[in-house]
Amino acid sequence: MAIQLSNANTTRETSTFNHAESTPRIHGRLRLRFEARGDRNQTILAESEQQAPLRIVRAFQLDDGGSLVHLHNLSGGVLGGDHLDLTVEVGPGAVAQVTSTGATRIYRSGKNAEAAQQRCQIKVEGDGLIEYLPDQLIPFAGSHYRQETHIELGANAGLFWWETVAPGREAHNEMFAYELLQLKTSIRVLGNPIALEHMRIEPASRSIFSLARLGAYAYFSTFYICRAGIGSSRWSELERLLVELAEQLSRPSKTVWGVSPLRAHGIVVRALSVSGSEIARHLPDFWRAAKLFLYDREAVLPRKVY
Amino acid sequence: MKIAVGLSIMDKTRQVPLLWLLQLSDTALPIGLLNHSFGLENLAVEESLSSDGLEAFLFEYLEEIGSFENYFCGAAYRLGIAGRDRFPVEQWLDLNSQFSAFKLARESRSASATLGRRFLRLVNGLVESPILAAAVAAAQETETDIHHCTAFGLAGTALGIDEESTLLAYSHQSLANLISACQRLLPLGQTQATRMLWELKPFLVELVRRAQENDFDVDEAACFAPLIEVSSMRHPTLPTRLFIS
Repeated sequence: MAIQLSNANTTRETSTFNHAESTPRIHGRLRLRFEARGDRNQTILAESEQQAPLRIVRAFQLDDGGSLVHLHNLSGGVLGGDHLDLTVEVGPGAVAQVTSTGATRIYRSGKNAEAAQQRCQIKVEGDGLIEYLPDQLIPFAGSHYRQETHIELGANAGLFWWETVAPGREAHNEMFAYELLQLKTSIRVLGNPIALEHMRIEPASRSIFSLARLGAYAYFSTFYICRAGIGSSRWSELERLLVELAEQLSRPSKTVWGVSPLRAHGIVVRALSVSGSEIARHLPDFWRAAKLFLYDREAVLPRKVY
Repeated sequence: MKIAVGLSIMDKTRQVPLLWLLQLSDTALPIGLLNHSFGLENLAVEESLSSDGLEAFLFEYLEEIGSFENYFCGAAYRLGIAGRDRFPVEQWLDLNSQFSAFKLARESRSASATLGRRFLRLVNGLVESPILAAAVAAAQETETDIHHCTAFGLAGTALGIDEESTLLAYSHQSLANLISACQRLLPLGQTQATRMLWELKPFLVELVRRAQENDFDVDEAACFAPLIEVSSMRHPTLPTRLFIS
């Protein structure tokens, strides 16, 4: 791995969260670039720029030639006012797996502290693949958090990305005690949006338990499965497989799974549950089925301890 | 016979646009509004949506999905205003593509697109408007889905109806349609349904005001309705359905 401390240009969208409005408490940055090298189609972490509290220790080679990294936050969580920027670039034909070492904890914001902000930009170039598989996001009581995730896929590029949001520290009886959780997502293929989301959740002012929002469920999760250029008939086949799985796993009032094709190039799986472990247990089932279908490869959960 | 939309008509008969608006926002308009439940049918079957608490549910629905659609309806309206002389076709298509990308559940997305396409063609067949003609042609040429909220907003501009009235009419017909769907799904009487629609009107006004205050900036539009989305995704798997999937 060659670590470079350069000011490499990366594709950036203009943030709508106004980073420049005030001085952040901490401005952490992490930029990773994966590249395919050699005849054996091995992916390496070619470049890495790190600014605390975000960091990685090293990249691990996967059996299928891909490269795995674990994201660390040395602060132990996201503190009020923190600005964190994560940029991941996957070069042509490279395969990267990115996970976290544990749940992303969003700590209570101090008095007058601005919302913590995390911005993630992922660019996957032609024939590349990223599997972005973080652990749960847990917003603590009194936390303010804004997150943007922008993903750009090139020709025949692939994405497996899940995100699960907990209601808070359940064991502390902190259910929906956070102040603000704002999640913005864009996934584009060659510049065209295939999936957009903008959630703004303020449990104190809007009833989270309404059937229009979460109803009786506490955890929600989204899993994006994309591969640019795959035709609609193939997506329909995969949809049938995943819908069948969703039906087997769904128990209304406990856990429900929904599957839908995106407007093009992908499928989204949504889950709602009273239990975070139920979602964590079965998300990999969807991943395995989809990866086998789209890549004819086995999906192997990232190891957390080496 | 097509009516030419122009200032001369507006000047002579200021009341006519109001009548157009009433007709276009009627849930009986032949575009298929009554065929879709937008996830409500599954909510009624799997998630205990019932007549009790329905008004509160609709309030929350409007606060998320209704409010979100207002931004797009208003943005489309303003595209029409900005482009009376030269309609910004690319922005029009982008706006609709964005809306498609936000609608993650295929059932809701395709329902909105079906209604939008039919609505736009219907209005374009009734009046001569360069804006509507350009909007229809661009959508056909690029095979871009056009959504009901954006088509309604653009039609408002093209017909010379004021912005606020256009937005209010759109949101009102959306709510009326939801309540109508609930009447077929739940034990909800005519009087109850009428009262609900009546009681929620001030909230529709409030939501339109909020979107106007944000200049219909679609980057500001937010929506958190995961259970409705999942319900819409799961609707096709219901063994018996009253509404289209």
